Amino acid sequence: MLRTITPRNARVKRFMQNREAKVEENVKSALFIRGSSTSQVVSDALADLYMLKKPNGVNFSKKNSIHPFEDHSTLDFFSQKNDASLCIVATHSKKRPHTLTFARMFEHQLMDMMEVHLENCKPMRDFKTPKSAIGMRPCFQFNGDMWDQHPQYKMFKSMLLDFYRGKTVDRVALAGLEYIISVSHGPLTAEGKPGKVYLRTYTIQLKKSGVKLPRIELEEMGPSMDMTFGRAEEAKPETWKEAMKVPRELKPKKKKNVSTDEMNNVVGRVHLGRQDFDKIQTRKMKGLKKRPAADEADSADKKQRVDDSNDDE
Amino acid sequence: MDVSAILEAHKSKFKPVSVEGKVIPVEFDLGLLAAYDQNPLDEAELRKGKDAYLHDLARDNTQLLLNQVFQLPTVSDDAGVLAMLPAPTTPLPREKPLPKPKPETRWEKFAKAKGIVKRKKERMVFDEESGDYKPRWGYGGANDDGTKDWLIEVPSSADPMEDQYAARREAKKERVDKNKKRQQRNMEEAAVATKLDARAVKRGDRPNMDNVRAMKRREIENQILVSKAATASAGRFDKKMDGDLKPKGIRRQFAPTITDSGKEKSGNMDILNRIVGKGGEDLVNVRKAIKRTK
Repeated sequence: MLRTITPRNARVKRFMQNREAKVEENVKSALFIRGSSTSQVVSDALADLYMLKKPNGVNFSKKNSIHPFEDHSTLDFFSQKNDASLCIVATHSKKRPHTLTFARMFEHQLMDMMEVHLENCKPMRDFKTPKSAIGMRPCFQFNGDMWDQHPQYKMFKSMLLDFYRGKTVDRVALAGLEYIISVSHGPLTAEGKPGKVYLRTYTIQLKKSGVKLPRIELEEMGPSMDMTFGRAEEAKPETWKEAMKVPRELKPKKKKNVSTDEMNNVVGRVHLGRQDFDKIQTRKMKGLKKRPAADEADSADKKQRVDDSNDDE
Repeated sequence: MDVSAILEAHKSKFKPVSVEGKVIPVEFDLGLLAAYDQNPLDEAELRKGKDAYLHDLARDNTQLLLNQVFQLPTVSDDAGVLAMLPAPTTPLPREKPLPKPKPETRWEKFAKAKGIVKRKKERMVFDEESGDYKPRWGYGGANDDGTKDWLIEVPSSADPMEDQYAARREAKKERVDKNKKRQQRNMEEAAVATKLDARAVKRGDRPNMDNVRAMKRREIENQILVSKAATASAGRFDKKMDGDLKPKGIRRQFAPTITDSGKEKSGNMDILNRIVGKGGEDLVNVRKAIKRTK
């Protein structure tokens, strides 16, 4: 366990406050960890993934004997110490060659994790092309029909988006869209298990097109990896539920009396206030005309008086 | 004059920005700058030339994504043209739980009742003594509460030999201590309320602080009762004193005199089974029982 620190000055206090739970969270930072034995393939892949995550990543240069699927207490410890909620562990063994384990934490406790086995990797340095600047926000694309259907594909998609989404912002510089992470999956295997997944990274070039929108050309910048899925551990339902909660402040405000129908038309409901039937303009008819009550009483009175005078005479 | 031919000729000089051949339209999450293409990959193409095919596919989908991004409303800044992104639609998990709301302090409660609203005050205030701006409070602050005056008039009621500077320092220290005590009290009350109104805290609301004093009192009484019972005989042979606290909310239960005979039998059999039945050996400490009979 880490010792608990009581802040003794304002700087430490601010630092501690920054680590506390917040409505709008910090960018998730990631740990890049080498297992007890690694191959050149996974080391290169790990280094490249770290380059893409910079500056919100911590690269562990020493080897650590970590087997996340057997015991994840070390990962939890690292997560708490570095205030990081994502991590990748690179390992290589005869049984599971060239393996990256993607793991996610909630409250510094392991939430979910999955293994991918790498094949046909080409690191960034083997592409002699211009690279994107460090810390740029990537675009994503997921090609294939299984990304929302198969649990493992779903998890990988969620994991990758979580790793590289960066800070949630409401505006982005159009000139800053420098690269795209493209993930595609091939057909399922004969047994219906996940097949190969292709991760490619391209720089985006905006070309003239004669119209307002630019013509896009891509150039591969690396890394390029083909992978298959290994073991996976899904999040516990209660942890997942807790993690997916959206704070009240960030929920979109409900617009009253405005809705959309099935045809995507915006339908508004307007309240007109209470109607006063006496003042409403209807068809005019002499019979329906209402005489003021006071007027009526007045005339009756007059009549009476006339009769009285007649009696006197 | 018909310019469509000229426009067409101009356009034909460039490659197109539109993408054809998507059976299922591509979906976007512009808040994350992500495109989700649900069309399955072409297996034959994939086998023929994987990298070229993936490159073309990626280019087409990037074109579609950036077409969407470039059509968003924009603002200009010194950083260039910025597109206004909508909120992300893909749900992703948080890294830490939602922040717990802080329990109401006594001042907050009072201010709410009186309708006192917090106003923002500027941090720097003009200090007439030194003739420049100083922080309102803190290091080098303006509010020294008269402890740095160069001259203090001795009040007529005061002892002329008394150090007025020390008196002011003392007064300030007392105020600070008093406030610290109140902070402590707020913290204690908050702890009690959080414990007792756990349901509201779990819901993500502030705990009810309405009768915190009563809650605190009950908490202390319970603690006293527990500590009193912490003797060798669990408080049984202790001397009772006048005004001793009595445990509240404990009721003795009596079985009714006349009941269903089956129920009574099953209850008795349960007890018997527990003692002589399976696992009954653990219930009675045999060694101790033998010792007692001797």
